[in-house]
Amino acid sequence: MTILHLALAVAILAPLAAVAVLGLRVLLGDRHPSELNTFRTIGAGLLASLVASAVVAGAFAGLWAPSYRGDIEFGDWLRIGDFVIPGVLLVDGISVTISAFAAALTAVIARFSRSYLHKEPGFVRFFVLLGLFATGTQLVALAGALELFFAGWEMIGIASAFFIGFFHERDEPVRSAVRAFATYRLSDAGLLIATVTTFELLGSARFSAFDRAASLPPAESSIIALLFLVSAMGKSAQLPFSGWLPRAMEGPTPSSALFYGAVSIHAGLFLLLRVWPVLEVSIIARSVGVAVGLATALYAAAVVRVHTDAKGALAHATLAQVGLILTEICLGWTTLALVHLVCHAFLRLGQYLKAPNTIHDTHRMGHQHAGAGWLERAAPTVAARVYSASLHRLRLDDRIDWAFSPVLRVAEALDGVDRWWRRVLSADGGAQ
Amino acid sequence: MNAEVVALSAPWEALIVCSLLLFAPALASQRPMPAWQLGGCAMTLGMALFASSGTVAFAAIALGGLLHAVEAWHQTRTGAIFLAASALLCFGASAAMAGAQLTAAFLLSCLAVALRAGVLPFHVGVAALCDRAPVVQTQQLASAIALVFVHLRFVDHHATAVELAPLLVRYGAAACFIAALMTLVQRDLRGLYRGTTGMHGGMLLAAMGAASLGNFAAALLVAVAMGLALGGLGLVITSLEARVGPVAFAGPGGRARTFPRLAAAFALFGGAGVGLPGTAGFVADDLLLHTLWMESPVSTVTVILSSAMLAVATLVGFSKVFLGRTTPSLAPDLHARERLVMVMLLVGLLTLGFAPWALLGPADAFLSGGG
Repeated sequence: MTILHLALAVAILAPLAAVAVLGLRVLLGDRHPSELNTFRTIGAGLLASLVASAVVAGAFAGLWAPSYRGDIEFGDWLRIGDFVIPGVLLVDGISVTISAFAAALTAVIARFSRSYLHKEPGFVRFFVLLGLFATGTQLVALAGALELFFAGWEMIGIASAFFIGFFHERDEPVRSAVRAFATYRLSDAGLLIATVTTFELLGSARFSAFDRAASLPPAESSIIALLFLVSAMGKSAQLPFSGWLPRAMEGPTPSSALFYGAVSIHAGLFLLLRVWPVLEVSIIARSVGVAVGLATALYAAAVVRVHTDAKGALAHATLAQVGLILTEICLGWTTLALVHLVCHAFLRLGQYLKAPNTIHDTHRMGHQHAGAGWLERAAPTVAARVYSASLHRLRLDDRIDWAFSPVLRVAEALDGVDRWWRRVLSADGGAQ
Repeated sequence: MNAEVVALSAPWEALIVCSLLLFAPALASQRPMPAWQLGGCAMTLGMALFASSGTVAFAAIALGGLLHAVEAWHQTRTGAIFLAASALLCFGASAAMAGAQLTAAFLLSCLAVALRAGVLPFHVGVAALCDRAPVVQTQQLASAIALVFVHLRFVDHHATAVELAPLLVRYGAAACFIAALMTLVQRDLRGLYRGTTGMHGGMLLAAMGAASLGNFAAALLVAVAMGLALGGLGLVITSLEARVGPVAFAGPGGRARTFPRLAAAFALFGGAGVGLPGTAGFVADDLLLHTLWMESPVSTVTVILSSAMLAVATLVGFSKVFLGRTTPSLAPDLHARERLVMVMLLVGLLTLGFAPWALLGPADAFLSGGG
C-alpha cells in the first residue's frame, strides 16, 4: 500500500470512523457526551480527512514524486462471477479539487459550529451528521466507479434531510425534511437506474470506462445521459425540483451554508462533470440541460427579488448561479464550470455564515429600498405578473403535490383492498 | 485456504445470522420463547443448513415452522395458521424431494417462501405476525433465511426453475411495488412494519427468480439483509411499544429526546432496509438490481422505485414516531441487554455491508454447486 492509497482511505474513512466511535459511545453508555468530547472526536476525523486530502492533492501535483493521476485500486468490494463492484478511487483534476475544497469547507464549518451551536440540544447530532456528510462528499469526490459514487451520494442526501429537520420540535422543518428527502430519493432512483444501465451497456461502471460512451448508439447514450441529468436536477434543485431548496433553509445556518451554499447543492453539477463523456455525445440531454439551467436561473432571479427573508433570498441567488453552471456544463465549458462552481461555493459559504449578522445589522440600520428596475419601467404589467408569480414561486410545490396525488389515491385504494383481504382470511378477532 | 473449506463456511455463516435472529428477542428479554422451543428451533436450523439431502433439510425447516406456529398461537391464530401452512408446504417439498419430483418441490418451496416472507397476496399470516407478534416475526425470519438457503441449494438448479424465473422476477417486482405503495399511506407503526415486510418479501421473490439464472449469492444476501434489517426493526418496535404502547401516526410523536437510542436504532435498521450505504442492504440492493436487469429491465426499475418509496415512507414513519415537540415519559431508553442485541445485529449488517465477500464468496461457491 502506497502513501496515496493510505491518504485516499483516510480522506474518506476518517470522518466515518469518528462517527462510529461517537455513536458506539452513545449507544453503549455515555448518553450525553460533552460538547468538547464531541467536537474533538469528530474534529479529529475531519482534520485527518483534510490532511489526507492535501496529501492526495500533493501527490496529484507531483510535489514529492512524479505526478499521479488515474484509477487507484483497492481490490474488489464484491466479486460474484462476472459481476464486480470495484473498490476503485479516481485521482484527477476534478476529484482532487472537489475533495480538497469540500474537506476544507467542512472543517471550517465544524469550527464555526462549535461556537454557533454552543448549548444547542442537538449539538452531538449535528456533529454526527457532519461526519457522515464529510464521508459522503469525499466518497463522491474520489469515487472511481458509480457504485461508490452512489454510496456517497446517498449519504449526502440522508445527512441533508436530517439537517433540514434539525429543529424537529417544530412541524415545518420536519415537513421540509420529508419533501427534500423525497426529491433526493427520486434523484437517487434516476442515478441508480443510470448506474445499472451504464454497467450493462458499457460492461463497467468505472468512470474511466466512460470514454467508450462514444461508441454507444445515440438512443442508448441519450437515455443514460438524461437519467444522469435528472439525478443532477434533483440534487441541485433545478426546475421543476426547485421547491425543496427554500424549505431546506429550516436547518441551522452552518448546515445551510455547507449544504445549500457550498457543497451539496453542487453535487449534481459534479456528477455531470464526472460523466461528461456520456453527456458530451448526447445533444438531446445537453439541450435539455441548457434549457433547464437557463429556466432555473431566470426563475430564481425573479424570485430572489421578492424574497423577504435573507436565507431564502440567498437560496434563490444560489439557485440562479447553479442554473448558470449547469448551462455552462451542458454547453461544454467544463473547465469554466469547475472554476465557477468552486468560486461560487466559497462566496456563498461566506454569505450564509454572515446572514445572521446581516439580518441583525439590517434591523438596526433599516432597509434601503431599491428604485424601479428596467422591467418595471419598460413593461409594468409584465413586471407585475412576474412579481405575482415570483411571490408564490410559480406554485411549484402545489403542482408537484398535484402530480403525485393520483399515486396516493391508488395507494389508499390498494390499502383498502389489502385490509379487506386480510379481514377475510383472518382467524383473529378484532379489527385488522 | 482450501476451496472446500471456504465453501463449507457458507452454512456456518448462515447459521450465525439465523441464530442471531432466533436468540435476539430472548437476549433482549422480549417475551422469550420457552427453552425447549428455542432449542428445538436452533436444532432444526442447524439440520436444515448442514443436511446433505433436500428431504432432510425441508423437513427440518417444516419442524421449525411448526415450533414458531406453536409460539404464535396465543398471540395471533392467523399468523400461526399461516406458519403451519408454510410448514406443511415444506413437508410437501421434502416428500417431493424424496420422490425426486423436483418441479413439485420447487413450486411448494416457492409458496412456502412466499408465506414466510410475506409476499402479496400470501402475506396475511406475516401481516398478522407484524401486527400482533413482532417477536415471533423476528424469530421466524431466522428460519425463513434458512428456507431460502435450502431452496437455493436443492431446488433452484433445474429446468423448471429456469423456466419459471421470468415469472418469479416479474411477480416479485410487482408485489414489491404494490407493498411499497401501500406503505406510503399507513397510519401506524405496525402498518409501516407490515408494509416494509411485504416490500422485502416481493424483493426476495424477485431475487429467487434471478437466482434460478445463476445468481445465487444475490438472493441469499437479499434474504440475510432482509432478515437482519426487519428483525432489528421488529425488536425496536417491540421495545418502543413496551414503553409507550401502540404508536399511531396521528401527529408528531416527539420521542427522539426521550428515547434517543431507540430513535437511532430505528433510523439505522429502517435505513438498512432501504439500502443505507455501508450496510448489507446497500450491497444486496445493488447486486440484486444488476442480476434482475439480465432478466427484466422493467422489473429492475420497478424495484428501484419501490425502494425509493419505501425510503420516503420510512422517513415519514420516523418523523411521526420520534420527531416533534418532546413527549415526556418516565420509561427508560433501551436497557443494556436490548442495546447489546441491537449492536450485534448492526455489526452483522455493517460487516456484510463493508465486507460482503465474507458471506458471498463461500455462499456462491456452495450454492452454485448445488450443495
